[in-house]
Amino acid sequence: MSKKKGISRRNFIKGVGTGVVGSYVVVPALNNKAAKNLSDNEELQLKEGWQVLSLKVNGKKIITKVKPNTLLVDLLRNELQLTGTKVVCNQGECGGCTIILDGKPVYSCQMLALDANGKEVTTIEGLLLGEELHPLQQAFVDEDGLQCGFCTPGQIMAAYGLLLKYPDPTDEQILNGMSGNLCRCAAYPKIIKSVKAAASRIK
Amino acid sequence: MKNYDIHQHVQGKSIFIDDMRLPAGTLHAEIFTSNIAHGIITSIDTSAALASKGVVDIFSASDIPGENQVGGMIKDESLFAESEVHYVGQPILLVVAESKLEARKALSKIKIEYDKLKPILNPREAFIKGSLIAPPVTFELGNISAVWDECDFIEEGTVESGGQEHLYLETQAAAAIPHEGEKIKVYSSTQAPTATQRVVAGILGIPMNKVEVDVLRLGGGFGGKEDQASPFAAMAALAANKLNKPVKLVLNRQDDIRITGKRHPYSSDFKIGFSHEGKILAYEVKFFQNAGAAADLSMAVLERTLFHCTNSYFIPNVKATGISCKTNVPPNTAFRGFGGPQAMFVIESAIKKISEKLDVPAYMIQQKNLLREGDEFPYGQRAENCNAKKSWNEALSKFKYEERLQSINQFNLENKFLKKGIAVMPICFGISFTSTFMNQASALVHIYTDGSIGISTAAVEMGQGVNTKIRQIAAKIFSVDISIVKIESTNTTRNANSSPTAASSGADLNGKATELACLNIKERLLNSAKEILNADLSEIKIENGSIFVNEEKKLDWEELISKSFLKRVNLSSHAYYATPKIYFDKSKSKGNAFAYHVYGTAVVETTLDCLRGTYKINSVKAVHDFGESFSKTIDLGQAEGAIIQGIGWMTMEEICHDLNGRLLSNALSTYKIPDIHFTPDEFEVHFLEGAKNPMGIFNSKAIGEPPFMYGIGAYFAILDSMKAHNKNLDYDFKAPMTPERVLLTLSKNIKTKIHK
Repeated sequence: MSKKKGISRRNFIKGVGTGVVGSYVVVPALNNKAAKNLSDNEELQLKEGWQVLSLKVNGKKIITKVKPNTLLVDLLRNELQLTGTKVVCNQGECGGCTIILDGKPVYSCQMLALDANGKEVTTIEGLLLGEELHPLQQAFVDEDGLQCGFCTPGQIMAAYGLLLKYPDPTDEQILNGMSGNLCRCAAYPKIIKSVKAAASRIK
Repeated sequence: MKNYDIHQHVQGKSIFIDDMRLPAGTLHAEIFTSNIAHGIITSIDTSAALASKGVVDIFSASDIPGENQVGGMIKDESLFAESEVHYVGQPILLVVAESKLEARKALSKIKIEYDKLKPILNPREAFIKGSLIAPPVTFELGNISAVWDECDFIEEGTVESGGQEHLYLETQAAAAIPHEGEKIKVYSSTQAPTATQRVVAGILGIPMNKVEVDVLRLGGGFGGKEDQASPFAAMAALAANKLNKPVKLVLNRQDDIRITGKRHPYSSDFKIGFSHEGKILAYEVKFFQNAGAAADLSMAVLERTLFHCTNSYFIPNVKATGISCKTNVPPNTAFRGFGGPQAMFVIESAIKKISEKLDVPAYMIQQKNLLREGDEFPYGQRAENCNAKKSWNEALSKFKYEERLQSINQFNLENKFLKKGIAVMPICFGISFTSTFMNQASALVHIYTDGSIGISTAAVEMGQGVNTKIRQIAAKIFSVDISIVKIESTNTTRNANSSPTAASSGADLNGKATELACLNIKERLLNSAKEILNADLSEIKIENGSIFVNEEKKLDWEELISKSFLKRVNLSSHAYYATPKIYFDKSKSKGNAFAYHVYGTAVVETTLDCLRGTYKINSVKAVHDFGESFSKTIDLGQAEGAIIQGIGWMTMEEICHDLNGRLLSNALSTYKIPDIHFTPDEFEVHFLEGAKNPMGIFNSKAIGEPPFMYGIGAYFAILDSMKAHNKNLDYDFKAPMTPERVLLTLSKNIKTKIHK
């Protein structure tokens, strides 16, 4: 644990996508469909106005087709099976679906997948530094910043966005940065400690 | 000790029901519900919905092969409405489609017509109309009618407390997978796997042994998944059974809030008699509980209200009556505290009234009436190992109460529109299910041949850390590293006939059962070691994963296990625990209902902006009776979380219906729960020293619910702030004390002044 304390800010950011540049994933389900000659499905897709979407998720380039009304969170959870990101309130009030989009924390339930076209997404699954926990994740472990764990991915991603903006946040910046993320277990005192611990480690 | 799953949680790897990778071809269900509060269905047309793209089938009450019944305590609740609907959100049909979106789209194509009936929304109106869940229940102590004349003063009042939405972040969810031989496996986000199993079996009309309910973890429960997870599991199971395909039902937030019940709102009348020194002599209270449209757990909740009607005070003459009123809102249900908080809010209000009458601070009245060792509760049990005064004294001295009071008075002299307030909140909460038979649990412990340990219990993990505690218990008894102890999912095939994980009792009951199972195996292992090592039993010791004879290490844990296996030693044990010494005679409302009581005292401070009605909870400091906690991190987290949730109930969380019984606070945009800003600036929970509890596992005490009730202190601290602004404030005892209510109350008083 102690060796992680000294982790540099460069390593902190490294988790976001510069990690595995160049790898390329095509969502298999669509790939199979595409192999057929204009199938019923393709015809339907044409009718429904499916669009090609290209984005980077946790450092991997993804090219897929989506219905225009697909939410980013549904793309992540259902197509890419990145189920760490949670749907809680469906209306941008709770932060359970927080991800990082081009360096900023956003609610992925409030965005169309197509709006992420050409952008870079980091989810909770993209934070691991190889086999090791990201210092933020480690801080939540060390400070017991959770109870049931359902809001935790959102909390950690919000904290990640906060620390990208304010590497050395004041108490007020922590409260404001984390205020969009609800925790019904109300583990807030320990969430505050976790964010502080992470900030002091990443410095 | 850390939460067992913490490493997975922080990586987003923990699987909740909606995250499960279900078999290909899994179908998705959505619920069509009543949009009126009371009426008779005259017609339903599902033809357009059935023809809708992706829709596979639509199920109604007539498709249920078993009994259309989900009621547990009283059989008065159907899974799907048959003709009459009793609340907005009552399930009528289940639409099953290839995708969730297609199922949702089909909902809007269902045409329904009703003959509307007038709904009852208020419990007092229900009472007048004779709309009750069951006959009233009364607890009595002493002789109340004889003592009113002896009282120097008598005060009366009315107290209203609002409901509370559980808002577990994981909504109600279930996935059902049909198996060969008409069996069905149901993954459910339930606190009560056995109740869910029973409901599923009843709906399908099959024996319970054909239903397997499995629970890995819950994204929060708080009581909302004690009785109310089962209908959703049954719906998924019904569709899976009929279609012979896996079916998933995960509620979206708005549906969850609309369909499911909440904490019971109460409207209560009290009459309290006391001496001029502030000694309470008589207390009469009548609780009108808004139960909603069906019994659910309301009678048990009501009973706990009566159990806790005097909180941590001794009152020699008490008459408490509880009336469970049937109304046209979703059936209200268990919520952390289970009727206790509603009761304590009333007695604290009554005490406030005494303090105003006698013109002394409320804490002096509270202090004067605290329970002492041997005092009798209204249900006949006597306070044993009573820590009421102990925690009170420690809290007031540790937190320098008198000094705080002075500095607050000084602040209030210096500030016109910012006012500080302070309140002390003692609690006393009984531990045990008040239905005695429910106080039982079982554990199944296996040691595998490589020495690793697997444990199944009836406890459901929902963030309260029960799995961590059970691991600790096993690791301590075997004296092995905790990393080799694994906790399995909660499963009705491994642990049958279990009680729900509720009443704060999960770790107590299941921990004790685990202890017994581990001790069984340990005894066999010691005898095995005796034979293997040719030593005397008294010389052998298992410690830190090694086996010693007279302090000399002879074997590793793994060696002992593999050698014992070869010697045909049984390395598994199933054990059963039932809380001893408890009983309760419902016909007399007397008995030793609780294994023990939890005590504690909190001091809450607030600052009120009298122009805006907004307030800040500046400080919450408590001395809490954890017994001898063996999992301090977990227990502290539970206490902090419960306090914040309790403050939320008393302050910002407001359930609103329109006059037609439609829920207005039906989403997170209209129903506010505490966020991180709401954390008190100063927040301390201290462990009461010397509070050994022989009735708890390793002398600990249950922790889930009791600290919730410290939140009531926030109400009275805000009220104190308001009274600092206007000493003669005219107000009602009505919670939640939202900023709007604060402002309306303050401004109402200002108007009165002007018009005079």
